[in-house]
Amino acid sequence: MIKIANVSKHYGSFQVLTDCSTEVSKGEVIVVCGPSGSGKSTLIKCVNGLEPFQSGEIIVDGTSVGDPKTNLSKLRARVGMVFQNFELFPHMSITENLAIAQVKVLGRKQDEAIDKGLKLLDRVGLKAQAHKFPGQLSGGQQQRVAIARALAMDPICMLFDEPTSALDPEMVNEVLDVMTELAKEGMTMMCVTHEMGFAKRVANRVIFMDQGRIVEDDSKEEFFANPRSERAQQFLAKILHH
Amino acid sequence: MYEFDWSSIPGALPFLWDGMKVTLVITAQAVLIGIVWGTLLAMMRLSPIKALSWFAAGYVNLFRAVPLVMVLLWFFLIVPEFVGQLFNIPRGTDMRLSSAMAGFALFESAYYSEIIRAGIQSVPKGQISAASALGMNYGQAMRLVVLPQAFRNMVPLLLTQGIILFQDTSLVYVSALADFFGAAYKVGDRDGRLVEMLLFAGVVYFVICFSASQLVKRLQKKYSTA
Amino acid sequence: MNYQWNWGVFLQPSASGDDTYLGWMFAGFKMTIGLSLSAWVIALLLGALVGVLRTVPNKVLAGFATAYVEMFRNVPLLVQLFIWYFVLPELLPTSIGDAYKQTNPVMQQFLASMVCLGLFTSARVAEQVRAGINSLPRGQKNAGLALGLTLPQTYRFVMLPMAFRLVVPPLTSEFLNIFKNSAVCSTIGLLELAAQGRQLVDYTAQPFESFIAVTLSYIIINVTVMTLMHKFERRISVPGYIGGK
Repeated sequence: MIKIANVSKHYGSFQVLTDCSTEVSKGEVIVVCGPSGSGKSTLIKCVNGLEPFQSGEIIVDGTSVGDPKTNLSKLRARVGMVFQNFELFPHMSITENLAIAQVKVLGRKQDEAIDKGLKLLDRVGLKAQAHKFPGQLSGGQQQRVAIARALAMDPICMLFDEPTSALDPEMVNEVLDVMTELAKEGMTMMCVTHEMGFAKRVANRVIFMDQGRIVEDDSKEEFFANPRSERAQQFLAKILHH
Repeated sequence: MYEFDWSSIPGALPFLWDGMKVTLVITAQAVLIGIVWGTLLAMMRLSPIKALSWFAAGYVNLFRAVPLVMVLLWFFLIVPEFVGQLFNIPRGTDMRLSSAMAGFALFESAYYSEIIRAGIQSVPKGQISAASALGMNYGQAMRLVVLPQAFRNMVPLLLTQGIILFQDTSLVYVSALADFFGAAYKVGDRDGRLVEMLLFAGVVYFVICFSASQLVKRLQKKYSTA
Repeated sequence: MNYQWNWGVFLQPSASGDDTYLGWMFAGFKMTIGLSLSAWVIALLLGALVGVLRTVPNKVLAGFATAYVEMFRNVPLLVQLFIWYFVLPELLPTSIGDAYKQTNPVMQQFLASMVCLGLFTSARVAEQVRAGINSLPRGQKNAGLALGLTLPQTYRFVMLPMAFRLVVPPLTSEFLNIFKNSAVCSTIGLLELAAQGRQLVDYTAQPFESFIAVTLSYIIINVTVMTLMHKFERRISVPGYIGGK
């Protein structure tokens, strides 16, 4: 489904990604973790072309992301993404947030789009909030709406960029529950997150990054039982201690 | 002590009202063109295409470095001559109003473009990412997501700039156009009642601008609590 | 366009005979600078005072300051100038007014322009000063008072030094405005840059050269002031705070 091959990226002389390669097959759930500044968010943003890269290749469902001839908008319409800061559109109601891209990008009819949006809103448990504006919802609720907004596009896979790190602790679980649910239904997912509990429960594989390189790429059992690199051991020790 | 005589004002009201209409027309068209052309300039300034962004930066910085009076003088004394020769407009055609309006619109666009640029930049970058991630192209992301938010943030500033513009229109005095102030000055000069007419003009401007700015303030409060 | 360019015109002796047209331009340039700088001193002093008054708890003082700002902000500069120049001398007691009208007309033009520009700009300076003071964290004032400082002392030692630094960037743009606004004073006959530009057009019949030269002069003033203020901003920046390193 997603193939990342020898991807490198630099801003001026600063190397952000170095020779990253991995593959995600249909239905797999991958957790990407690593210390801050390790390039994990950049890598996931390369997958739908929000960040350009200078060398290597990324193929999503047969389409090359780096190819200048690729219609990126078309590709992105099929790849869902959830952001750290939710990024709901504050000037639109929840319903409008859910419908706008369906109508303007996929060309669906307004009622059809609203119907679909409301169904998904129900699924994330927020049907009662449909008429409200993003600013009137809690962070956890906003992030669930953001997930529903991405799902409304019928994505072939979902990218999560630290979806819980801007949330108050008591709201983390409501978002993780929705993600777990999605994973169970067989959605292909790439998640940048520090939630190791989620990784243990749901992930098929864990990718550990450090200084722009993929240091570990293992099944979760292997990763948590005996991480090979010293950096991963230190990282796990720090994170699992609290 | 000076003895006030306000008797020339009532008779002059129709003439003053005609002047006020000129003032309002100039203000309205400069606001409209200023916002449209200013938005385009702001988008050029922020565009990744270097040539566009340099053009916009040059335009804005040039107009912001030069006094409005100077711009109006250019458009009063020099531009009509130039345009007249270019398009074979017969000599002596009165182009003062259209010329003054063009000067205002071009000048104010530079100021509007800076307000709008700040407005666009006040929308978090993540919003463009989110719009792109949903498959919108740059134009859609701007039109549907960024500009509506930017304009909402900017409404009070745009209106305040409109009030400043309304005051600035009095400077068409340099091209001897009878806007509200020009009309008041003419009447005062004719009747030897300059003191009264100038004070009257000041009061009228104050009442209009003060009420308008109070309205803007109230609007701002309403927006910020919503 | 069949326009005869002639940049040499600036070196020709002027109509008044004792000077070149370049000399006229330079006289206008000096007038613009002198007028703007002296008006700026008035604007800074009054603006700082009125801006502080707008933030004090005393309702009467704050109310007076608000009225001051609203009055100067809501009447066009040109109207204010005409009121200072044409109206005020009439409203003085007859003997003083008549004596004033006997003084040097250039002096009268300059005085009216300076006072008008100074007060007009002071209202805008006051707004910036008020915004600067209000943007300080509330804790700063309380911390000052809690240390036993009086309210004036808290303003003097705690709030104003910080507010002053916050206010410098917006004041830079007001400082630039005062040079641009000084062109309005050409309307009462004060021979500053813009007025000299108009004269040059009439006397030399070389409108393009005249206006390009005057416009360039304004751009030079603008760039110079911006460069100087930028240096100043860096000198006064506070480490670890906005603009600091």
